[in-house]
This record gives sequence, structure tokens and C-alpha cells, in this order.
Amino acid sequence: MDWQAIATSLPSLGDGLIATLQLCAVAALCSLLWGGLMAWMLMRASPFWLKILNLYSGLTLALPLLVVIYLLYFVLPEYDITLSSPVVGVLALTLYYAPYIAQVIRAAIAALPQGQWEACRVLGLSRSEQLRDVVLPQTLPQMLSPLVGLTIGLIKDSALLSIVSVQEFMYAAKQAISDTYAPLEIYLTVALCYWLLNSLIDWLARCLESRMTRYRRGLQH
Amino acid sequence: MGLDQQVIAALPELGHGLLMTLVLTVLASMVSVVMGQLGCFLQLRRAWIWRFIGRLYVSMMRGTPAIVQLFVVFFTLPRLGLGGQPMLAAVVAIGLNSGAYVAEILRVNRSLVTRGQLEAARTLGLSRALTWWYVINPQVMRASLPMLVNEFTILLKTTPLASVVALTELTYAGQIVIARTYDATQVLLLVAAGYLLIALPLISAARRLEAKRRLA
Repeated sequence: MDWQAIATSLPSLGDGLIATLQLCAVAALCSLLWGGLMAWMLMRASPFWLKILNLYSGLTLALPLLVVIYLLYFVLPEYDITLSSPVVGVLALTLYYAPYIAQVIRAAIAALPQGQWEACRVLGLSRSEQLRDVVLPQTLPQMLSPLVGLTIGLIKDSALLSIVSVQEFMYAAKQAISDTYAPLEIYLTVALCYWLLNSLIDWLARCLESRMTRYRRGLQH
Repeated sequence: MGLDQQVIAALPELGHGLLMTLVLTVLASMVSVVMGQLGCFLQLRRAWIWRFIGRLYVSMMRGTPAIVQLFVVFFTLPRLGLGGQPMLAAVVAIGLNSGAYVAEILRVNRSLVTRGQLEAARTLGLSRALTWWYVINPQVMRASLPMLVNEFTILLKTTPLASVVALTELTYAGQIVIARTYDATQVLLLVAAGYLLIALPLISAARRLEAKRRLA
């Protein structure tokens, strides 16, 4: 092992990791918004639009992310739409992950008993009160674990964006390798960082989930 | 929209790429199932060290990007005297990655095997490995089949990564053709169609198997 190479490239790798975190935060937020909107549309769309939405979801299920990235990166400029590579990256991740998020949200809301909605109406709760006081407290704990799983997937998939030269963690790693000629050492370091980051997120989500479902344990005992 | 003459001339090249993608998917799926069984078997052992190794494997493979794993394997193989073989690197890396997910699928379905069956197996004098192979594995594999087919679809979607180690599968073949013809749209749509060609039957097979399992 070439420890020297790891030590000298640590600062630039750190910058890359921060760039990845920023990129993923933006992409996760965008895909949550677009996914939430999609869930809302799925629940009240006409059969025609439902078909369109399902076709789009089906494509993201069947196509590799790298092909989606290439499609956005190479095809859009042919129609005179030139986006910078980070924007293409966020767009690709958003388009790719939103249908999954939409499914999670829709399933959690569909799992609410019909009587809850009727009770809300009887109590005369406004739409925002329904959402804040009735729907979210029950659906959030259910959605948390799959949503965190998707976020971890998004962080892992963001590594692909280095291929279209988005300057994130993997890109920094490639630069460090061309400086130090120690690919295995650098990539092992990169793997370790991703692993620690994702394990941390996983652990935080578990803590949050057990806090959110405390009321259930309270009922049981 | 007719196909460009140059793109038509490149169709055999893309076809070969599709074939390589298929070969990679099948070989990696085989590695994945073997590693999944091993990972699941280790996690069920009683000695903590085996369980720890099993958990560590699953956690590391699920916590790091597949592309990083591919690079690690690609640069480790030369140190084992197996350098310069992108297909080997891709099969090992993608198989190891998917194997962790297969191990989790098998572990979830492991609860189908009742305690009484395990006790019966022990009474009959079967060793732990033989119990796994003859009693647990057949039942768990059958119950996991829909999820496994689903996992192979996901595996198919990781195969384009192999293009970064210059394995001429579908995506890389597409890139080579684009570099020559400058017709990104048509070529990429063909590449996408190639993936749909493999993925759609897999997805519908998974759905049908799942429906059948619910009925049973």
C-alpha cells in the first residue's frame, strides 16, 4: 500500500466529497419535489395521463442510469439545449429517482384507512391541517426507511456523473490518480468514504425512525 | 425518421455489444447467486466471526457505488496475475455487488423454513452445510424467485458500468459508433432499445412469478 499517495491526495478528495454532498442534496430535494408532485398526479390523473406517467416510470425501471445520463448529455445539445454538466447530472438523477419516490409516497398514503379521510372531513379540517396533523404523522415513519434507501442509492449513483465530467468525488479521485499513479489505494479510500457516509445516513435514519414510531410502542405496553 | 446510412452500417457492431451485455448479465447473475447464497449462509452461522464476515460483505457492497467496486476489482486483479481482462473484472465486480442484495433477499425468505424442519434435519444427522443445501436452500430459492428475477433486472442496469474499463458491451459499442458517426440521438435511442429488449421480458417475468406466488 502506498500510504503517501493517500495522504497527499486527501485534501482534494475532501473537496470532491463536499461537492458530491452538495450535488446529492440538490438532487435529492429535486427528486423529492418531483416525486411528490408525481404521487399527487398518480392519485388524481385521467387514464390518459396515468398511462403517460406509467410509461415514464417503466422506462426508469428498465433503462440503465448511464444511458439516461448519456441521452440527456448528448441528445439535448442536438436540439440546441445546452446545459452545464452539473445541471445535467441533477436532472438525470431527479428524473431517474422521482418515479421510485412517487411510488413510495403513494403506497404510504394509500395504506391510510378510508375512515381517516372521512373523519377529517367530519371534523372540518382544512387541507393543510389534514396533511400536517393526520396524514404526515402516520405516513412519514412508513416512508422514511424506503426514502432513505433511495437517497443512499442516489448518492451511490451520483458517482456515475464523473463519466460526463461533473466535478464530484469520483472525479476528484480520478484527478488524484493521475497525479499519484496509485489507483487501487485511492479507490479503496473512496470506497471507505462512501461506505462511512452511507452507513452514517442509515444509522441516523434508524434513530429517527425509532423516535417517530415511539407512539406505537407506547400503545403496546 | 429514417436511420442514417452510417448508423445502419454500424448495426452489427451494436448487435455484438448487445450480445456482450447479455453474456455479462448471465455470468454476473451466476456469480451473484453463488455469492448471495454464501453471504446468506454465513449470516446464519452461529459463530460470531462468520456472521460478522457475512454482514460486512453485505454492508460494504450496499454502501459503496458499483463503479468504485468495479475500479477496485479492476486494479486488484493485476496484483493477482489476472490483469488486462475487463470481462473478468466486470463479471466479478457486478456479481459481488448484486450478490449482497441476493443475500438479503434470501435472508428475508429464510423464515419460511420452520424450526421443526431444522430439528428434523439435525435428528437425521445432516451437517449444517447439507441442511442448507438440501432443506433450506430449495425452499428459500423457490420463494425468492420473483425477487431474484427483479434483482437480475437491476443487475442488467449496472452492466453499462463495464464501459469504463473498456469492455465493448452495448453502451461502449454505442459510444464508439457515436465517435465515428456524430449521430448521438439515433445511436443512443438504439442502445436504449437494446436494454429494453432484455429488461422488459425480465420485468414481465418477475410480475408473472410474483402473481403466481401470491396465488399459491
